[in-house]
Amino acid sequence: MPNVLIEELGPRGKRRVRMWTILAMVLLVALIAWVLWTLGNQGQLAPERWTEIFEPATLQFLGEGLVNTFRAAITAGIIAVIVGFGLAMARISHTAWVRGITTAYVEFFRALPLLLTIFMVFFGASALGLDLGFFWSIVVALVLYNSAVLSEIFRAGIRSLDRGQTEAAQAIGLPYWPMMRLVILPQAVRRMIPAIVAQMATLTKDVSLGFVISYAEFVVRGSRIEAFSEEATNFQAYVFVAVVYFVIIWALAKLAEYLEQRQRTLPALAAVKDIGGITEDAAIT
Amino acid sequence: MSWSEFYDTYGTRLLEATWETIQLSVYSFAIALVVGVIIVSFRVSPIPPLVKFATIFVSFFRNTPLLVLFFLAFFGLGELGLVYSGFTTAVWALGLYTGAYLSEALRSGINSVPQGQAEAGRAIGLGFVQLLTLIVIPQAVRTVIAPIGSLFIANAKNTAVALTISAPELTALSRRMINDAAGTWRSLLTVAAIYTVLLLFVGWGFRGLEERYAIKR
Repeated sequence: MPNVLIEELGPRGKRRVRMWTILAMVLLVALIAWVLWTLGNQGQLAPERWTEIFEPATLQFLGEGLVNTFRAAITAGIIAVIVGFGLAMARISHTAWVRGITTAYVEFFRALPLLLTIFMVFFGASALGLDLGFFWSIVVALVLYNSAVLSEIFRAGIRSLDRGQTEAAQAIGLPYWPMMRLVILPQAVRRMIPAIVAQMATLTKDVSLGFVISYAEFVVRGSRIEAFSEEATNFQAYVFVAVVYFVIIWALAKLAEYLEQRQRTLPALAAVKDIGGITEDAAIT
Repeated sequence: MSWSEFYDTYGTRLLEATWETIQLSVYSFAIALVVGVIIVSFRVSPIPPLVKFATIFVSFFRNTPLLVLFFLAFFGLGELGLVYSGFTTAVWALGLYTGAYLSEALRSGINSVPQGQAEAGRAIGLGFVQLLTLIVIPQAVRTVIAPIGSLFIANAKNTAVALTISAPELTALSRRMINDAAGTWRSLLTVAAIYTVLLLFVGWGFRGLEERYAIKR
């Protein structure tokens, strides 16, 4: 709680804080009560509307969607890390044209809305006579975008290392690739891990955009609940989808946060300040 | 269809869709700024329930996919009789979503001001409001211009998701043109070019601001 704005409170300040605390509590409780009351009035809290979602058939239907979400997220995540690593290596290469092409690629895909990239892959590929199907369309689109973002993370990780590391490696006569493999990358990769995990959380969130090409993922399945259920409506369906999605992404974000915290406290890995901003950056699409 | 035919047929609609995207971006970002300031002031306040509320708010909006928020607001609340147009829903949902991110950016800006600055201000007898407006905010603002810029760009890109609740913006138009057989790659690349040019200008604008307000020592 302590920050630059607040100093240690005296007795009068404490009294005032206590007063505001009570007032805020009352307001928040009133807000929650009002929401519940409105929902109840509309009959949205009726138990039969909610139990329907937890029937085995419905859960299985939704569960398959969730599995599809994970399948796309994991496939795209692994490929994007590999491609992103390659891009980062090309981006710091000594050959000008290799650098130029990668820079163009990275800037282009980072500037486009992911949905447009999905359309490019889905409609664009079929216009070129290439049938990718729903799964690979969403995976390829996610890889195009996320590899660009990840390459920036990798590059920042490598650049956050002290110049002395490169100089020392060169001084003992290591050529470029052994230097990368033995000196630079082992240190850089460790620093990048929190940012990579955070980006994976974003990627998992973005699988939901597969909705627009009706890839049968979690949100698509949720949107079909109303059609075949008797009581449950879109409201219940989307609340359920939102809660499950929230828990998954929240857990991933917490993991990233924990990893970053641990790096800050481990003396051997201190000075990861530069990369902190990257994690923040990575967390928004 | 030749290029000139393409522009004769879709020129006006491209302009309209571009305007829709710009409006979505600007309105939602205005809401995000207000939301961000309110939430961050809760977050840094000494009042525990407000801190808790702000934490939950930020956590919810940051960890739920934007698409799900859109559907929850559009179809979910629609079920409760709160029916709004796709545009209005998109502006508010985006505003809250980006507002959550923005409040975090503002918070790290406030925390970047060294403790000693505030102590020095108090030592010369400044009150809370003076301390805030004369010492903390002028220093915090400089460090948050760049993150606010990248959030604006992210927000503008996220307006594309509004096509799922039938707001007629640019990406929706690209799909429309593809379905009208106006040429798949022509449609896609035209829209991509519009996005790139728009965001390029925004990027320049924010870089200019950043340079103008950079701390010169």
